Amino acid sequence: MYHERGDGLSSYLAGNDTLEQEGEGYSMIQFLVKRFIGLIFVVIGVTFITFILGYFAPGDPIRTLLGEHFDPVIYATLKHSYGLDLPWYQQYFNFLTGLLRLDFGTSFHYQGRAVWDILSQGLPFSLELGFWALIIQFVIGVPLGIVSALKANTWIDTTNMTIALALFSMPTFVIAVFFQVIIVQLHVHGGLSWPVSNWGVPWHYTWTDIQFKLGPILVLAATGFAYLTRLARNQMLEVLRQDYVRTARAKGLREPAVVYRHAFRNAMIPLVTVFGLSLGLLVAGVFFIEQVFNIPGVGQVALVAISDRDYPVIQATTVLLAVGVVVGNLISDLLYSVVDPRIKAA
Amino acid sequence: MDTKEQKAEPASSHMMFSDTNVAPVPVEPELLEVPASEVITTVDGQPKPQKKPSTPLQDSLRRLRRDHRAMASLVVILLFFVIPLTGPVIYQHIGGPYHSLLNGTIGPSVYHNPFHQELDRQDEGPSSQYWLGTDAIGRDLLARLMQGMLVSISVALLVEIVDIGLGVLVGTLAGFYGGWIDQFLARFTDIMFAFPGLLFAIMLTGIFGAAADQALSSLPLVGANGNARLVLVSLALAFTAWPLMARYVRGQTLQLKEHQFVEAARTSGTSNTRIIWRHIIPNLFSIVVVASTLNIAGTVIGESGLSFLGLGVQPPGSSIGLMINDALNLTDTHPWEVLLPSIALTLVVLALSFLGDGLRDAFDPRSKD
Repeated sequence: MYHERGDGLSSYLAGNDTLEQEGEGYSMIQFLVKRFIGLIFVVIGVTFITFILGYFAPGDPIRTLLGEHFDPVIYATLKHSYGLDLPWYQQYFNFLTGLLRLDFGTSFHYQGRAVWDILSQGLPFSLELGFWALIIQFVIGVPLGIVSALKANTWIDTTNMTIALALFSMPTFVIAVFFQVIIVQLHVHGGLSWPVSNWGVPWHYTWTDIQFKLGPILVLAATGFAYLTRLARNQMLEVLRQDYVRTARAKGLREPAVVYRHAFRNAMIPLVTVFGLSLGLLVAGVFFIEQVFNIPGVGQVALVAISDRDYPVIQATTVLLAVGVVVGNLISDLLYSVVDPRIKAA
Repeated sequence: MDTKEQKAEPASSHMMFSDTNVAPVPVEPELLEVPASEVITTVDGQPKPQKKPSTPLQDSLRRLRRDHRAMASLVVILLFFVIPLTGPVIYQHIGGPYHSLLNGTIGPSVYHNPFHQELDRQDEGPSSQYWLGTDAIGRDLLARLMQGMLVSISVALLVEIVDIGLGVLVGTLAGFYGGWIDQFLARFTDIMFAFPGLLFAIMLTGIFGAAADQALSSLPLVGANGNARLVLVSLALAFTAWPLMARYVRGQTLQLKEHQFVEAARTSGTSNTRIIWRHIIPNLFSIVVVASTLNIAGTVIGESGLSFLGLGVQPPGSSIGLMINDALNLTDTHPWEVLLPSIALTLVVLALSFLGDGLRDAFDPRSKD
């Protein structure tokens, strides 16, 4: 697991396991091929789990669709049109090939409506939410971590790290609830007018839109931000202890040059790999943020589908999010090999 | 683990993770450095001969006791176990009869019941009758909070049993034998790490939740009060948790396998099963304790999160997440109702993380930066 490097706990718990991949000197091609095979395997695994859960889902969806009294002929045709009369491996094959064409099948609840059609209603909201949260957690988290490292063991560092640890440990929806209570109480007692529910127009940034979006984005970013702050601090401290930093200081470089040209760049390399992990955190967080702030994104679409027992929609949401995380992991591994020249040297 | 087992591995005190031994291990005294504080001085000033050198576990516990944050966390966690187990019984005996307009005269065992609704006593603040107030349909908040905590610890226990059982089994086998078990574990963990755990749990409980409610509602203990789905929730959370435990255990087993005491055991003809049982598994103690403490935090968050989304405990049952969701639209008029469960959840989750950190530092002082 690349993204676990630098986290003291994981590397301790996993023993020398995490070091296996380091220092072996992959060639770029070998590395890419290895990652790609891994990716295919994981995608098949993830889609299979999703498929099999839907396959064994209780109840007969066609029967639910048709109601109490139905014509057996209509039942059979409908079942055939949904492909539910096929053996499981053919259904899985259809499911997989459908995914490649972004065809997630047909809804059970809204007869004849494509799943993609339902999902794509929520997608812009969630994508925008996740996108900004991802950016913001890096933009705020990394500098704060570096400040902490430069001021290590002062009150700035201690406060910063305590806040980061608290935010990292708290569940997202509790952070969201606290945030909402503060804003609402400021409204009741202080007359602050700030929306705590709903979302503006996706990808539009008037002042009203920003008011809607700022809160949910900040809350969603909080967990990843805390993780990044801690990681950036540890990385920076590690690098500042290195010999070449001492050399840079010894040859009379000014402190800003030492910090930014020598230490900062090297400390940033492992942070790239956190990208994949952050995506995972964001994906799970989206469900809760959308529930608390009443945002009509994919999380809400999935929850509505769950109460409607619309299994294809649930499956599609899960596959979409999970594959998103897998691809995010791949991208962060690729970035790692681009940023760190050592990994190319065969 | 009895002491007889421990005697079988006297060499274990030489190894790196020696602090994982539970019971006193007989070792040659000169191999252990006796800390100065351990030499007990008697009243007449004469140093008393050392009775027994402190074991690595005792050293770890001493380090843990010095960690104030971890000890405070331990107190919070103990309260979190003791309150829901003993609290309701006591609470339902405190208070006089109450003349309700709707329900006639009722005693504390009724109005301090987490499921009883007193519809003309809605959204009240703390009082002598309702210590922490009432919710939107007149249920006692303290009683509901204790019931929610009970749900949290039950799920946490269930998940930990599966997590430790499967994780240690697969992890030791994969680490010790390698081969196809190792391959299977590696591939399986790859998939489960890619699959965000909560997403899997949401999907599983979403699809099978209603069916589980029906099928399990007749079970004793768990079936009543909308708790039937908790079995499913626990399974989902355990399924996503155990690969990480197995991965940690595998890593530790790989290290242990290379130590001389395993080699010595093998040379003297000990069977593999016996080596695993007597030499590997006892030495996994610290890693399992640290990993499962941190995993309990994840489980508590997972259960309350699922209940918050309406996928866990069903009404009229109570769960911390359900309480938060119930009160979510009252943040303007009655913020207390949403703050109470949120604060309780935050406290226990922070305590579990801090204790996990403290345990890790106590078991392995070198890991501290």
